[in-house]
Amino acid sequence: MSPTLHYDAVVLGAGVAGLTAAARLAEGGARVCVLAKGVGSTHLAPGTIGVLGYDPERVEKPADALPGFIAAHPDHPYALFGADAVAPALEWFADRVEAGPQPGYRYTGGLERNHFLPTAVGALRPSALVPETMAAGDTNAPVCVVGLPVLRDFYASLCAGNLRRGGIEARAVEIEVEVGRVEANALGLARRFDDPAFRAAFAGRLALLLRPGERVAMPAILGLRDPHGAWSDIQRRLGGPVFEVPTLPPSVPGIRVYNALVAALRAAGGRLIVGAEALGVEREGERVTAVRAHTSGHDTLFSARWVVLATGGFASGAITLGSDWQPHETIVGLALRGMPAPGEPRFAGDYFGPQPMSNVGVAVDSGLLAEGTENVFVAGAALPGAVPWREGSGEGIALASGHCVAQSVREREGAAAAA
Amino acid sequence: MEKLSTDVLVIGGGATGAGVAWDAALRGLDVVLVERGDLGTGTSGRFHGLLHSGGRYAVKDPSAADECARENLIVRHIAPDAIEDTGGFFVTTPFDDPAYADRFALGCRNTGVPCEEIEPAQALREEPRLNPRVSRAFRVPDASIDVWRLVWALARGAQERGARVLPYHEAVAVHRDGDEIKGARVRNSRTGDELDVEARITVSASGAWAGKIAGLAGIEGVQVRPGRGIMIAMNHRLVNTVVNRCQMPTDGDIIVPIRTVCVVGTTDVDTEDPDDHSVIQDEVDAMLAYGERLVPGFKDARALRVWTGVRPLFEDTKGNGDGGSSRDVTRAHALLDHMDRDGVSGFFTITGGKLTTYRLMAQDTVDAVCRQLGDPRPCTTATERLPGSHDGEYIRVEDRLGRRERHLRDDQLICECELIPRRRIEDTIRQRGTTDLDDVRRLLRLGMGPCQGGFCIYRAAGILHGHDGIDTSQANRALVDYVLERWKGVWPILYGDQLRQARLDDWIFQGVLDIEHLP
Repeated sequence: MSPTLHYDAVVLGAGVAGLTAAARLAEGGARVCVLAKGVGSTHLAPGTIGVLGYDPERVEKPADALPGFIAAHPDHPYALFGADAVAPALEWFADRVEAGPQPGYRYTGGLERNHFLPTAVGALRPSALVPETMAAGDTNAPVCVVGLPVLRDFYASLCAGNLRRGGIEARAVEIEVEVGRVEANALGLARRFDDPAFRAAFAGRLALLLRPGERVAMPAILGLRDPHGAWSDIQRRLGGPVFEVPTLPPSVPGIRVYNALVAALRAAGGRLIVGAEALGVEREGERVTAVRAHTSGHDTLFSARWVVLATGGFASGAITLGSDWQPHETIVGLALRGMPAPGEPRFAGDYFGPQPMSNVGVAVDSGLLAEGTENVFVAGAALPGAVPWREGSGEGIALASGHCVAQSVREREGAAAAA
Repeated sequence: MEKLSTDVLVIGGGATGAGVAWDAALRGLDVVLVERGDLGTGTSGRFHGLLHSGGRYAVKDPSAADECARENLIVRHIAPDAIEDTGGFFVTTPFDDPAYADRFALGCRNTGVPCEEIEPAQALREEPRLNPRVSRAFRVPDASIDVWRLVWALARGAQERGARVLPYHEAVAVHRDGDEIKGARVRNSRTGDELDVEARITVSASGAWAGKIAGLAGIEGVQVRPGRGIMIAMNHRLVNTVVNRCQMPTDGDIIVPIRTVCVVGTTDVDTEDPDDHSVIQDEVDAMLAYGERLVPGFKDARALRVWTGVRPLFEDTKGNGDGGSSRDVTRAHALLDHMDRDGVSGFFTITGGKLTTYRLMAQDTVDAVCRQLGDPRPCTTATERLPGSHDGEYIRVEDRLGRRERHLRDDQLICECELIPRRRIEDTIRQRGTTDLDDVRRLLRLGMGPCQGGFCIYRAAGILHGHDGIDTSQANRALVDYVLERWKGVWPILYGDQLRQARLDDWIFQGVLDIEHLP
C-alpha cells in the first residue's frame, strides 16, 4: 500500500495558475501541497503579465476593453470570474514579487494601459504588467540593441531592423563574451550577469559603443539571483535606460516569476514537490479523496479535501488528443468542453486563423468547480474557451483563476464550518 | 530581354530533368535547366524516399521490376552519398493473402530482383517493432534515397561541366517556328524578369505537368494522369529497414526509414490537378491504421508531417489508354519524340517512370536527343560517380552526430533536431544565394525534425538577416513564410505529443515573438 500524506488542498501543476492558487490557499491558512511533474510554463513564457493584448486588434487599455471582450466571449474564462477579479490578482502578484527572494526586483504597470515591449524579432507585444527591467522598452526613444554572438536565441540586428520599420531609431551592436564554449543559453548567461565583475567588464566594453541618448536593449539575461541588482548596476555603468527583451526559452524572466511564486508559497507554509507526476485519483462518488503521484521510488497518496487542477492544456500534456481524435484530461478524467463537433475541422490550414481545437478545456461552473465533481477546481490553461497565446491573456487568466479557485475553496470551507 | 543560347534546354528540375542535364553535360552538350520552383519540389521531392529493389513490381509488372533491379545497382554505385543502405523486407502479415508470398518469390527469381527468404524470427530480431505475427519474410536490397541530395548532386555535376541551372524559372512560352521547336521563354518567379532560351533541342522533363508544357508547344494529347498519394513521416526510426507488406501493391503497405524519420505510404487517387496537395482526413486515419498493421504501436509515435505527391502516369491519347485506375497504369516511363509523334522537331517529352529509374530515363532521352542532332555520343552516367559520392560511402543515420561531435566546441548548433550547425546554414545561404528558408531546408533538413522549426526558424531568420544584402523585410518574409510552410504539413496530423509540440511552437511564435504583428 502506498504511503499517504494528508493536506487540506493538493494543487497539481507549478505554473503561474497552480502556484498562485496554492500560495493564496496557504496564505489563508490551508495546508497545501503542490505536485508538479516538472517546472511549468513559466520557463517558456516571456515573464510579462498579459491580460488582454489582442481582441483581435491591439488593445491599448485592458481595463476598458475587458467588459466588452467578456460580453463578446461568454465562454471565455474571464467571463467566469469577471473583469473585477483581475486587478486584485495582479496587485497580489506584484506584491509577492516585490517581497520575494530577488531583492528589489519588481513589476510595474497594471490594467490601465498596456506596455508595448519589443520581442526578439522587434515586434511590439502588449503586456499589462511588466518587470521593471523591461519597462524602458515601451518608449520611442532611440535604441541600441545589444547582441551576444554566443547566445543563439537572440538576434540583435533583426530586432533592431524591425524596430526601425516600426518607426523607432534603432541599431544593433554585438559584444563577444568569453563563456568557455561556443554557445550558451539565456539561463547560463544570466548566471554570469549575477557576477559583478562580469557585468563591469561587459558594461565597460558596451559603453564605448553607445551614443548619447540611446536606450540599451539587451536579451533578457540580466541576472537570475539578483536581477534588480544586475540591471541597476548595468544601467548605472552605462548611464542610461536599459531594458531586457525576452529570448527563446529557457526564459530568464519566466524563471524569476517561478522563483517569486515558489517563495510566496513557502513563506505561507506551503509545500512544493517537483518531479511528482500525478498518476490518478481516489474517489468517493463525486468527491476526489486523494491524488496518487509518482514520487521517488514509489507511489504516494496525497489525501486532500480540495484538489486544484492547474496542469495546463494541450501544451503541457495534461489534456491530450488521441490518434482517435478524442481529447482526455489525463489525471482525473474530467469532462471537457469546447470540442469541435464530429466532422467539423479540428485545426485549420490558416495558421493565424481560428483553430477550433484550441478552445478545449475542462468544463467548470462559475466557481471553477469541475463538472461532475464536488471538490476539484480548475485554474489556468486547463480552462476552456481561451486562446491565450493569441489573445495575450495567459498570465491574466492564470493569476485571476488561481485567485478565484482559492476564493471558492475558502467560501466552501467557511460554509462547511458554519454548518 | 536577356537571351541564352544552348544545345539542350531541359524544362523541369526534378530527378529526371536534373538527370537529363547531367547526362547531356557529361556527353559534352551545352545545357540549360529551368525549373519553376526550387529543384526537387515537384513529384521528386514529395515521395517517401524509396530506392526500389524491384520487389514491389515482381508480380505485377515484371519488366518494371527488372528495370528497378538493374537501376538500383547502378544508382547505388554512382550516388551513394544520397543513399542509406537500409535493406528491405517483404513480410506477410495476418492481413495479407498468404498465397502471395510464393508468387512473390517466383516473381523475384524471374525478374532478377535479389531476394532471400528469411525466418520471420530473424526479421523480428533485426526489426523488433515489426508485427510479431509475421508468417513469411523476404530480404531485398531496398534502400532509402535523399532526393534533394541526389538532385543537387546531378545539378552540381552538370554545372561543373558548364550547364546553367536556373531554379525559380518557369517556362511561360515554348518557341515554335513551323514544325520546329527552338527553345522557350522563362520567367524568373522571384523577380518577374523574363528570359529567352534558344535551344537546338528542348526536353520537357516536367513529369505530371508534361501535358501543360506540350500544350505550350502547341502539341495536343499528351496526357499525364496525376495519381495522388499521401505520406506521413513519423518522429522515430520505428524501423531501420524498409518494410513492405508482401501482397499486391496497395494503400499504406510500406514504411521507409529515411534520415531521422520513417515514412508510411501511400495511396493512389486520381486527381485532375497535379498541384492539388490537399490532405484528406480519412486518408490520414487510414494511413495511421495501415502503419499499425506493420508496426504495432505505430499510431502512438509522433506523426511529424503529412504531405501528398503526384505520380506522373502517362496515357497517350494517341495510343491506347487502358482506362483502368491509376495504380494499374504502367509505371514504365514514356519518351515521346515529337518528331515521330507529331512531326515537330527539336522537342522531346520524358514522363512517367519513377525515381529509381531516373537515370535510365535520362539516358534514353539524351540518346534520342543525340540521334536527332545527328551526333551520337555514348552515355556514361552508369559509371560516372556524382559529386559528393567519390568516396563510395553511403549515408549512415549516425553520420551527423559524428560530424557534430567534431565541431562541438567551434560551431553553434542551430537546429537541434537535425543537428545542423551555424556554419552549414551560412554556407548554404551564401551558395544558394537564397532568402527562402525552405530552400535551405531541402539541403540541410532544417526544421524537419520533431519541433518542426519551433526553435530553429527564428535562429535561421536571424542568421539570414546578418548576410550581406538581406534586409529586414526579407528576413521577416523568410521567417513567416517558413512558419506557414511548416504548418501546412502539420495541422492535419496534430494529435498526441505532436500537438503538444505544436502548442509550444505557437507559444514561441505568437506568444514570445509575436510574429503575426511584425511591422
